[in-house]
Amino acid sequence: MSSIKMGKAIQTSPVFEKKTIIGQRVTKPDAPDKASGRTVYINDMVLPRMLFGKILHCDRVHAKIISIDTSAAKALAGVHAVLTGYDIPELKFGPTRDNRTLKAGKVRCIRDEVAAVAAESEQIAAEAIGLIKVEYEDLPPVFSPTEALKQGAPVVHEDHPDNRSLSYEFSHGDVAAAEVNSDIVIEHEFEVPYVTHCCMGPGCVIADFETNGKLTMYSQTQYPYNYKMDLAPAVGIHPGDIRVIQPPVGGAFGSKLDVYPFEPICALLSKAVGRPVKLTFSREEEFINSPTRQPAEFKIRSGVNKDGTLTFRSVDCLMNNGAYTSWGPTTPVIQMRTFTGHFRVPVVEYKGLAAYTNSVYAGSFRGYGNVQATFVTASVMDMLAEAVGMDPIAFRLKNAQKPGEVTPQGSKLDDCKLRECIEIAAEKTDFLKKYKLYAQDRVNAGRIKHGIGIATSIHNAGGAKIHKSDGCGSILKLDDYARATLITGASEIGQGIDAVLSQIVMEELGIPMSDITIVNNDTALGPWDVGVHASRTTFVTGNSALRAAKAARKQILRAAARQSNVSAEQMDLREGHVVQADNGVSIIKLDKLLRQMHFAEEPELVMVSEYYEPDSELEDKNHVGNLSATWAHGAYVAEVEVDTETGEVKVVKMTAVQDVGRVINRLGIEGQMEGGISVSLGYALSEQLQIKDGKVLNPNFRDYKVPTAPETPEIELHFVESDCKASPLGCKGIAELPAIIPAPAIANAVYNAIGVRFFAPPLTPEKVARALHDQVPDNTQ
Amino acid sequence: MINIENYHRPSSISEAVQLLQQGEATIVAGGTDLTPQIEAGARQFESTLINIQRVEEMRGISVTSGRYRIGGLTTVTDILESTTLAADIPVLVEAADHFASPQIRNAATLAGNLCNASPAGDMCIPLLLLDAQVELVSWIDESVSTRRLALCDFFIGPGKTVLQKNELLTAVEFKQPVAGFSASFQKSGPRPALEISTVAMGFAGVLEAGVLRGVRIAIGAVAPTPLRATATELVLEGRSLNESAIAQAVEAVQEEVKPIDDVRASAWYRTHLSGVYIRRALALFQGVTAHAA
Repeated sequence: MSSIKMGKAIQTSPVFEKKTIIGQRVTKPDAPDKASGRTVYINDMVLPRMLFGKILHCDRVHAKIISIDTSAAKALAGVHAVLTGYDIPELKFGPTRDNRTLKAGKVRCIRDEVAAVAAESEQIAAEAIGLIKVEYEDLPPVFSPTEALKQGAPVVHEDHPDNRSLSYEFSHGDVAAAEVNSDIVIEHEFEVPYVTHCCMGPGCVIADFETNGKLTMYSQTQYPYNYKMDLAPAVGIHPGDIRVIQPPVGGAFGSKLDVYPFEPICALLSKAVGRPVKLTFSREEEFINSPTRQPAEFKIRSGVNKDGTLTFRSVDCLMNNGAYTSWGPTTPVIQMRTFTGHFRVPVVEYKGLAAYTNSVYAGSFRGYGNVQATFVTASVMDMLAEAVGMDPIAFRLKNAQKPGEVTPQGSKLDDCKLRECIEIAAEKTDFLKKYKLYAQDRVNAGRIKHGIGIATSIHNAGGAKIHKSDGCGSILKLDDYARATLITGASEIGQGIDAVLSQIVMEELGIPMSDITIVNNDTALGPWDVGVHASRTTFVTGNSALRAAKAARKQILRAAARQSNVSAEQMDLREGHVVQADNGVSIIKLDKLLRQMHFAEEPELVMVSEYYEPDSELEDKNHVGNLSATWAHGAYVAEVEVDTETGEVKVVKMTAVQDVGRVINRLGIEGQMEGGISVSLGYALSEQLQIKDGKVLNPNFRDYKVPTAPETPEIELHFVESDCKASPLGCKGIAELPAIIPAPAIANAVYNAIGVRFFAPPLTPEKVARALHDQVPDNTQ
Repeated sequence: MINIENYHRPSSISEAVQLLQQGEATIVAGGTDLTPQIEAGARQFESTLINIQRVEEMRGISVTSGRYRIGGLTTVTDILESTTLAADIPVLVEAADHFASPQIRNAATLAGNLCNASPAGDMCIPLLLLDAQVELVSWIDESVSTRRLALCDFFIGPGKTVLQKNELLTAVEFKQPVAGFSASFQKSGPRPALEISTVAMGFAGVLEAGVLRGVRIAIGAVAPTPLRATATELVLEGRSLNESAIAQAVEAVQEEVKPIDDVRASAWYRTHLSGVYIRRALALFQGVTAHAA
């Protein structure tokens, strides 16, 4: 701030330069409390008169329930309620309404909830659970989707005698003809595993059924408004009678995008006892009972001409649905877009089918089906390049779309930055030189082999219209002290939206971040939003906040113009002042203006509400439509060292190049990308929920291996900024691509290092060592 | 269910073993194995819980006329930070460095790691190389009674030792290794932190006039107990370190280990790694002894 003299007056007016907060590094407002331990997470919460719930999960995978004896549990001192599936009406819920809260009749997987207890303490609840006796009669189980689809396979749901759950089909062009006309056709099979989210805060809910029949849920949900709709049928009340409060959570990553049985069970316990009930998973329960990423088997046929032009791509995806349907088997909606629309493939075909089994079931997980699709397509792209004798970069550039192209499913690539991403990734890593050098070095002796690999993908970056509305509402008010409160539909689950929304309000209204409060944790206050998914929060809720901030700004400047000889168009808001836009000279302090507006003869409060709906389309029944307002690409390069004796793969460096439209919070985007890379590193190398005969063998952090700090590679980030036209803010959604692309880049780098192609992540040391051993006769060790 | 009726905090070995003599007791020190085992339902508390953290005489590292004594309550961090051990017995410090995480090392005690008797217990490996003895104390006939036992005879199966219910492992002792003694510790795993060994290998020996003497090989996670690979030791004993000796050692060790398939690795991979590690241990040994010579 500086000052200049105004006319004859001695008094001077302060002057403010134009500054921008967009693109700066901004600390998340919740960070200091989280770092210092002050944050009260949902897991820490205690309500007056609260009881503790616990669930008896079955120890069978497929069995008839013969009898349940709860008498001893009910008799235990401190137990207030014991419920079984026979005490409550059969209330179906879930995306295809194939699940129920407490099971009756039979159990279908190891997660099945057979009884639940509410008691004075967690210890008493656990003891009561131990006193419940259930008699089962085992039924023949089926675990593999292939087996489940065979004639005579055990039937998981009697109303689905063929065990078929959801299915998808899309085709564009004549595959048979394209295959005949292709110079080279390759076919491969891939299999991707069960992995799980590993939220630091395990599953937790507090349900409070009030005497007036209304239900308050303190929930970890990441989609509070649709949550009411999905929860209501499971509890048997009207969605309007549910209020959702979202305390701080220890991570979600897609795992809280559905209603899981423990939540309505907790609500039913609360209803039974007339008190709030809290239900928390132990870490082991969390590993066994929380949703996983969708496992799948893929068969992919691809064609290419000798000049390197892709001719067709045909994909068969078989998914293990598990015993019930959550969002996992719906992930083909996003996955298909990559198979059919990543690179210019003139003829495409996709078939997806989910089969019921007696295994655990999958939900949504950061990347939503595209993690699997990208592992497959990025591996196949390298194989095709090799088949036609091209390097991975030239081959990809040859087939990369240009801006304005539309994919067979109707994804409009208006500002496609795929070529730029590939070119920058290749240049920054000196890719071709290393790639050729490492490939030549394969034949030489040496314990450590180096490799470099690239992978690319596409993802929705302007929301994803899977509901009738993909919009978000914002209410913005300013008080007499120029403090702003933004009441938004956006959920904060740790991803950093509070910082981003504060920046947007700050940019438009010229008030400091510390004067902005974001309210977004109560469905009774907040306006509609579809939730945290599809990389949509910054794009959709940010553009909604921008509308509200612009409306408030307009109202403020109009009022300022009324009492000044400067027009609203010539004014700006900077650092708590209304100023002249050209020279930054203060006209009036903002708080003073707001009070004048408030206490005028015709009083006026600055209080606006806006709704933003991105310009996207629902798919038609043939899966065609521009599902997202914009699309983004990324190109990631992994550099690895493979220990050819132990099979250990070390990722030395990950270079990420991504089209982000425009950086809003630089610190936030770095965090999102580094975190995503870590998720994908685990998918590539170490993470797998090992499930045998329907049972989880490694439900703990000792044997389920998430990457830790020492094996995290050096990370180099490059943002391609295009100022996306589809987004008033210029930004694109960015959060999922970092969790999608690194894994196949690592697998491609391992191939470059040792010449072995892996079709099933994770590339554990044992898998790599075994593959190398099987290549080389033992006596040459 | 936690059903502890009595809780004691003895301040001496004598007091602790008198309490133990009364039976039905669980000993807790660092609790880093005990607590998760109780949580997982793999183990139950006895009715009496004896917290031995205040038995100061069980703590610390000392050397008396060439004999090293490490108190049972000495933490893994104590071992990691011991300048005496770093100078004299670096292999112990190396194993401590591979042990779990800093938080766990701060609490975990040496006696706890040995009594837990995990086939993958990290501290067992270097102590087997050192021919260590364990000191087991009990209360018999109104007085403190002590017996000493070679560590290799202490383990009898996964989670099982010869420790009697009335006995306390108070210390570990070993002689100063002979001049020229060189030892190494290797541990595998897909990630370096908080790793349970897929295979851990310790190797020690002396190079005397170009031939190997006093060969000791200890391997973790390849048998029901931490394994002394005595057959492989014999293959190498008295041999000069040439490719034929190394190849025979690889073959011998892969024959000698008896791993299982489990959630962490297959028997095949553990056998494979044992071969890789013996070869690396011998290369390391060759490097160190060549440097010393």
